[in-house]
Amino acid sequence: MPSTDIKQQAAKIAVSGAATTAVCGAEAKPAIIATRKRCEAEGVGLSHYVLMDRKAVR
Amino acid sequence: MSGVVSTARAPSAGRYANLGCGASLIPFDIGHADYVALSDPASAFWALVRKDKLADTLTDSALMAGYRAKADDFARELHALRFELKPSAVYVNPTERCNLNCTYCYIPEGMRRSGQHMSTDRLVEALGRLKSYFSTVMPEGRKPRVIFHGAEPLMNQAALFSAIDTFKDEYVFGVQTNATLLDEEAIEFLSARNVSIGLSLDGPLAETTDATRLTFGGKSVHDKVLRAMESLRGYSAWSVIATCTEKNLDQLVPLVDLFHAHEVPTCMLNAVRCTLPGARTVRPDDEALAHAFIAALERTHALYRETGRKMVVANFANILLAILAPTARRLMCDISPCGGGRAFFALAPDGGLFPCSEFIGLDAFRGGNLFTDRIEDVLESEAFRTVTGRDVDRIDPCKGCAIRHFCGSPCPAEAHEMNGGMDRVGAFCGFYEEQTRYAFRLIADGKANDFLWDGWDAEDGGVETSFDFVLP
Ligand SMILES: C[S@@+](CC[C@H](N)C(=O)[O-])C[C@H]1O[C@@H](n2cnc3c(N)ncnc32)[C@H](O)[C@@H]1O
Ligand code: SF4
Ligand code: SF4
Repeated sequence: MPSTDIKQQAAKIAVSGAATTAVCGAEAKPAIIATRKRCEAEGVGLSHYVLMDRKAVR
Repeated sequence: MSGVVSTARAPSAGRYANLGCGASLIPFDIGHADYVALSDPASAFWALVRKDKLADTLTDSALMAGYRAKADDFARELHALRFELKPSAVYVNPTERCNLNCTYCYIPEGMRRSGQHMSTDRLVEALGRLKSYFSTVMPEGRKPRVIFHGAEPLMNQAALFSAIDTFKDEYVFGVQTNATLLDEEAIEFLSARNVSIGLSLDGPLAETTDATRLTFGGKSVHDKVLRAMESLRGYSAWSVIATCTEKNLDQLVPLVDLFHAHEVPTCMLNAVRCTLPGARTVRPDDEALAHAFIAALERTHALYRETGRKMVVANFANILLAILAPTARRLMCDISPCGGGRAFFALAPDGGLFPCSEFIGLDAFRGGNLFTDRIEDVLESEAFRTVTGRDVDRIDPCKGCAIRHFCGSPCPAEAHEMNGGMDRVGAFCGFYEEQTRYAFRLIADGKANDFLWDGWDAEDGGVETSFDFVLP
């Protein structure tokens, strides 16, 4: 199905914070899941220190 | 740089996966009943595809068209993350000394036993010099970070506290401590100044912690750490690191229970780094580590379901972030080049500058001295370039690995010291394979957010969606 408009064919689902997204039967599972988000890169942690707070540096 | 090249510039239209200028989409098994994963490592693009739809997806599908439109953007984003960052944090060791003699410590024993403190004046001067440097590279409105690290920073408490008060408006501060000297007064001082406090504990019971973390005289410190944890309950900015070795693998689940019961907001369950020979004596097997680690993660999830309170395992959360939002990752070990010498660097008590604290015991990686050299020059020194030039795209077998930009083949210090060179694979390849496969299974089952901080992707926190494709 050649198309460049992915939005016509793809139903978007939000990847938001529900604690218990139900695991549904195989038929109901999406055929494809592909997401990506972005933000300013600020990571400076290393494995000997827990660095997680994004807000503190602002 | 990109997995896909536009038709205007290339002889191939880039329409077909794995042909000409098309995306190289590598399928790999994630151990899920219904899904396999595809990734284009050149841009860290991925998709989870239902097993019965794999062939359709690889032909001229909507997913392929959507990715073609975005591939150059994604590749540029990854390139910027891997090669264009400027330092915005420094790990400062205010003393060489420590009161403990942990089996695996990457700070050499001689230093910890009888090393030098930095004087208050010297520490204040150091932070002043660093401030001048950061003012030239930090974006408007962001403060640099200083993390007091070690050895044991609280052995030089007077200098530490004085430096924090002198620069309280200039830096965001953190301190990582073994907690044996973290009394009520110290907690009060640090928490009143919003300093993040990291502790270390390796087991739920003294007998497990004692297997790796004891004083030089052989005394247990387990109960002292528990007392400090009790005092920190309710403070928002504290965390605990457990170092995973063959001595505590079977205790990771009860350890997670203990952390959760103490309301630890965030913890790490780190594989021991095998840079120095002592650490290698307690190195766990990759498969056993993966098994115990995933069991501990599952336990945090069960606790979340039972209580509604999350305890994030930061090092695993970072793998999820590397997949879901590469630029949102917080820890810079699992990316290549790693963050050492480019996103941050480390300062030794004698003024020595190293790419990362992990190198402080290795003199060949001293890039210069804060008191006599320009930081800009140190960042370009041979010692630093050796680390910042370590590139997973040139390492065997990583260069062909579909998950290489979620793993990064850490760490350069281990590769160099244990595996024979910077061009060698890191220490825990098998463990990274399993962590990444598990992360993808969680994404497939819609559970990833249960392992991440609430609000990690909030738009008002500056996170935006660049691709969102779900085909029913
Ligand atoms: C070197 S210590 C310095 C701060 C303080 N003395 C402490 O123990 O928290 C920082 C952290 O690195 C961990 N660590 C030390 N050697 C390690 C190694 N070889 N691999 C992994 N983690 C290590 C420690 O357990 C601790 O959590
Ligand atoms: S307490 Fe920290 S610095 Fe001291 S020996 Fe243990 S890990 Fe190393
Ligand atoms: S260490 Fe292993 S999992 Fe990581 S990039 Fe290399 S081959 Fe892949």
